[in-house]
Amino acid sequence: MDLLEFAKGPALQVAAYILVAGSIWRLVGILLLKEKPDFSEPRQSGGLLAALKVIYTRSFTASPFKRATLYPKMMAYVMHLGLFAVVFLFVPHIMFFEGFLGFEWPGLPNSVIFFLGVAAVVSGIALLVRRITNPVLRLISNFDDYFSWFVTLFPIVTGLLISVRMGFRYETLLAIHILSVALLMIWLPFGKLGHTFLVFVTRGTTGMVFERRGAKT
Amino acid sequence: MKKRPTVGEILQAKGVSRRGFLKYCATTASILALPPSMIPRIAEAIENARRTSVIWLSFQECTGCTESLTRSASPTVEGLIFDAISLDYHHTLQAAAGEQAEAARHAAMQENDGNYLVLVDGSIPLGNPGFSTIAGISNVDMLKETVAGAAAVVAIGSCAAFGGIPGADPNPTGAVSVMDLVTDKPVINVPGCPPIPMVMTAVLTQFLTFGELPELDALSRPLAFYGQTIHDRCYRRPFYEQGKFAKTFDDEGAKAGWCLYKLGCKGPTTYNACATTKWNNGTSFPIEAGHPCLGCSEPNFWDDGGFYEPLSTGHFDSGEKLAGAAAAGVALGAVAAAAGRRRQAKFMKEG
Amino acid sequence: MTTPQHVPITASPFHGNVRPLLNEVLHALDKLLETREATTIDLASLPFGPGELEHLEALLGTGELSAKLDALGSSSIRETAYPGVWWLEHRNAFDEIVGRYLEITHTPEILSSQDADIIAGRAHLEEQFE
Ligand code: HEM
Ligand code: HEM
Ligand code: SF4
Ligand code: SF4
Repeated sequence: MDLLEFAKGPALQVAAYILVAGSIWRLVGILLLKEKPDFSEPRQSGGLLAALKVIYTRSFTASPFKRATLYPKMMAYVMHLGLFAVVFLFVPHIMFFEGFLGFEWPGLPNSVIFFLGVAAVVSGIALLVRRITNPVLRLISNFDDYFSWFVTLFPIVTGLLISVRMGFRYETLLAIHILSVALLMIWLPFGKLGHTFLVFVTRGTTGMVFERRGAKT
Repeated sequence: MKKRPTVGEILQAKGVSRRGFLKYCATTASILALPPSMIPRIAEAIENARRTSVIWLSFQECTGCTESLTRSASPTVEGLIFDAISLDYHHTLQAAAGEQAEAARHAAMQENDGNYLVLVDGSIPLGNPGFSTIAGISNVDMLKETVAGAAAVVAIGSCAAFGGIPGADPNPTGAVSVMDLVTDKPVINVPGCPPIPMVMTAVLTQFLTFGELPELDALSRPLAFYGQTIHDRCYRRPFYEQGKFAKTFDDEGAKAGWCLYKLGCKGPTTYNACATTKWNNGTSFPIEAGHPCLGCSEPNFWDDGGFYEPLSTGHFDSGEKLAGAAAAGVALGAVAAAAGRRRQAKFMKEG
Repeated sequence: MTTPQHVPITASPFHGNVRPLLNEVLHALDKLLETREATTIDLASLPFGPGELEHLEALLGTGELSAKLDALGSSSIRETAYPGVWWLEHRNAFDEIVGRYLEITHTPEILSSQDADIIAGRAHLEEQFE
């Protein structure tokens, strides 16, 4: 078995098991927790609507912080949207999903994907630079932050390398790319990348708690 | 040992003019994928090259490779290269059979000890020597015996080079490649199912004219022909970049000649010369005819997933195991939550 | 001289091989004029799509001079509508094409009589006197 076969077969397989089991483990583990009792008088009833509201409003910067966070916010958007487009709108990737989902959807031309991939990498690097140079951010960053950053950027970089080639062999680069994806899948449920499926849960919870306490959201 | 005539002498004796010779050299450069500026050097080398003895061994094969080679259209093969080599043993092409043929093989080996070329097509079964024999000699024994005094061995076709179809899962005969057995002589792999005739000719021509082995890649394939992927030289590549793919063999995309990636094209991972050298005297090649590349010049192409399965498809075994993983996740989550609740309760009680 | 038939280069519906090739021819013509150095382009080494080669041939057109050579099968040597640009086709004994080249030169080498052939021919002529 060569490296590519290993990557496409066992490596992806195991990564998929871990991704699915790990994500569900974390989600269920959190959702089944008993709510912490709050003995204070509720100011407002913190319902689902409050949760949805925060899920929405937190997508934008609150006005007092606009100036300070505009740049990182934009970079984070570019990185996430670029990542989304590369993963779900690149035709060979759509075919990967079609392989087990059984249906396909329209994609973007490779040249556009390439541009978005580069944009994602550049903004990812900008975010890292900020993380390192901003004293407060650096203080609150731990291994998880840096490793999660690496694991996110690595597949994009290896994917872009496939199309740039630079004298390396396609099958080798593709194998490395898929292995890097497997690494992402394995790490995703456990570290801070868990925000992929937890981000709306945490925002909703925050919304409900804040609403109850009468905080402005 | 009597001196074999040079190719120049053979041509002269045949009344080939200098112009004819120049033409021959130009097409040889073409076949060898050398730039036309090399023609004078080729002319000089060919003039002085000596006739070389070739022994061709056919093991577990379908004769497709011989068939392909004898279809080679250049003036070289039928006309010149086959005049310039002396094919002393080829049990499908030669008239002699049985002991007479074996005697010819031994004579050629003795007479040209250390200088002859061995060409092999077909894989070699190790499961049971009786699976494939010639004149009562097992393939392994014949290979080992014949290769002993050879200058080099050329494995023609994917079977000889990598085990090919006989070696495909579950490999009932225990088929192995020439490379697996011959470790003390240079082995040149010319894979393909079959290889492009021009490429076979070129490898022989190169050896005969320059007396040296071509530059090889990690799988011992001549870089001149196996140095680039089909994808890198494919005329449909612009469609790949634009994201225009044929989805079926008869849709609009297929008619418009769009990229065949979705139909399972293995061009990106296949190293061969089809896209430029092409088949049938440069008429066309599989992708031009509308069929995706199967990757026939790569090891294990037969077992490497479906021919019509896109290259980026993962090889998962079943959705059931994934459902199992999901169930395991639920269980783990429930346990974690229960532990969390207990911790919570304890914390509440103790305050 | 016949005027070049103006098949517009941009009309190429194909895969983008023709334009860069013509550009190469242009540079080879410059080189020929400046240094008298000839260039040969092996058309078999380019990944032409269906119809592209025909398109190139139509584009280059036919010039004033064409010759047939009969040696190891026939060959045609034809000046295109662009002087100095020659289209060569070699066929084998079965009339199958085995090589296709563009030569950018004053006269393709294969047109001139070759010394080896002249010597052999001269000897043959001398024999006639005996
Ligand atoms: C297991 C799933 C995946 C497979 C099989 C896969 C396969 C591929 C293939 C075949 C290419 C084509 C390269 C080319 O010729 O241009 C590619 C490119 C790429 N992949 Fe993936 N990929 C996978 C997942 C991902 C993921 C999860 C990411 C991002 C995190 C990613 C990022 C990229 C990028 C950025 C490119 C370069 C796009 C371009 O060609 O411009 N891939 N991938
Ligand atoms: C629904 C999907 C997702 C949402 C809504 C989301 C949301 C967010 C948010 C709000 C942040 C904080 C950005 C900031 O600093 O302002 C963030 C950071 C980040 N996300 Fe996501 N994310 C999602 C999926 C993913 C995925 C799938 C990955 C990786 C594969 C990922 C990788 C990252 C990384 C590396 C950061 C840290 C950026 C930094 O260094 O500041 N995210 N995400
Ligand atoms: S048809 Fe195959 S080789 Fe050609 S561009 Fe598409 S994927 Fe590549
Ligand atoms: S196109 Fe691919 S499968 Fe077809 S002959 Fe060439 S290398 Fe083999």
